[in-house]
Amino acid sequence: MTISRRILALGGHDFDRRAGNDAICDLIVELADSPRPRICLLPTASGDPEDQIVRFKRSFAERDCVPSVISLFRLGESPVDLREELLGQDVIYAGGGSMVNLIAIWRAHGLDEILRECWREGVLICGQSAGAMCWFEGGITSSQGEPAVADGLGLLPGSACVHYLTEPVRRRRFLRAITAGELEPGLGLEDQTAALFEDAALAETITAREGAAVWEVTAENGTARETELHSRVLEDSRPPINGMRGEILELRQTLATRAGQRRGARRRPGRF
Amino acid sequence: MHAMRQVVAFGGGGFSQESGNPLLDDYVLGLTGTASPRICFLPTASGDADHYLVRFYNAFRDRARPSHVSLFRRERGVSDIRSHLLAQDLIYVGGGSLISLLGVWRAHGIDSVLREAYEAGVILCGLSAGSLCWFTEAVSGYHGEVNRVPALGFLSHSNAVHYCVGDRRAAFHRHLLDGMPAGYAAEDGAALRFVGDELVEVVASRPEARAYKLERRGNQVLETRLATRYLGGQPLATVIPLARQAA
Repeated sequence: MTISRRILALGGHDFDRRAGNDAICDLIVELADSPRPRICLLPTASGDPEDQIVRFKRSFAERDCVPSVISLFRLGESPVDLREELLGQDVIYAGGGSMVNLIAIWRAHGLDEILRECWREGVLICGQSAGAMCWFEGGITSSQGEPAVADGLGLLPGSACVHYLTEPVRRRRFLRAITAGELEPGLGLEDQTAALFEDAALAETITAREGAAVWEVTAENGTARETELHSRVLEDSRPPINGMRGEILELRQTLATRAGQRRGARRRPGRF
Repeated sequence: MHAMRQVVAFGGGGFSQESGNPLLDDYVLGLTGTASPRICFLPTASGDADHYLVRFYNAFRDRARPSHVSLFRRERGVSDIRSHLLAQDLIYVGGGSLISLLGVWRAHGIDSVLREAYEAGVILCGLSAGSLCWFTEAVSGYHGEVNRVPALGFLSHSNAVHYCVGDRRAAFHRHLLDGMPAGYAAEDGAALRFVGDELVEVVASRPEARAYKLERRGNQVLETRLATRYLGGQPLATVIPLARQAA
């Protein structure tokens, strides 16, 4: 059996309860196709913020996965063999943030090569926003302020633009870039949609939010043409509100404990 | 006339690590020669951690005109980073990951803006990764193994921070014998002040903090403890006699 190289590019996703986000987490677990999938978050693009890490771990721990995080900004506290750690995963999830910083930091640490190897070895690669566009030849970044064309790692052919209809300025820049030939034709991905690539070819598009779509964007006779792709619709798996009662109690308990810890905590010197 | 090019490299300390001890931060503010210096913080090496920004503003808002540049959230920050940095009296670089810091700066062209600011007389300072970055090579233990990392090279020397912690000393010696340029190591609380490429002073926020000059002599390393001025005012040990030791 040949290993399929798979990338799931997400137009906008978070580990929270907003419509469609749960269904996308479920989809990732389903695609991992392993009894207790090992899933590793790379929150590099946003500078490894703690809140994203906490949300990620909670979200995938409750889906019976083994979540872990590699923080390139805090390797000093927990040094790991990056290659070994990443090759041992079933899924790698690249978080959003600055696409320019993401690629610069990965290259500085040699992670681009390691991730390419993971992809070839069959680790499912996922990512949202900057963490989705980075796998293509190029995308539209807002890393510099105004939306601008940025190079990706080029594992996937063509280009991508995320948060497609919610960020009209970014979309217009994408359309202009494709018309002008600055970017190859590509996909416009709305929030809570996904494009699954197998062996660098588009296998399927998926939507987890009503009305959200994936658009194919091509250049024709000097203008850009957007075609809505037919997407598989994911049902929202969110449990009814009374099913969350246990979790809400747990949350309140955690918050109360943390507040107690803060009151009792002595100030410790910073890490840096 | 050329502006005075200055770097103050902390082995560790300042508001990041010495809460309640303002001596090193006061020292760099004092070098600006203005009552209300413009100081810009670059927290890049920490991934622009929010808690770090809060601590920076808490430390400086009453005694300077503080600002910061975030390279992770440029859409929300100052639009013209170059003009902003060139208008400062002091640029203060935070600690964290040196490799990530250099990668991000180069991607945004901040390395050349900092060079320009340095040559225009803006004082550059920082601790940990924010110290190592200015030298030609850094002995960095941040990623587990203690490795040589080529840095910006505004100073022709090599550098190590948090000296005497872990195996940095042995690694510094080994790298010198492997051909790394001679350099300086600073302990937590010690700071090296350079004017141009020349070390002009070593100061400390703790009476016992030290800095060292390291150079290769044949197949040995000469490590020289440097005279250090304690900034706390007590004449406890204002000038430490030079002690030489070969390792």
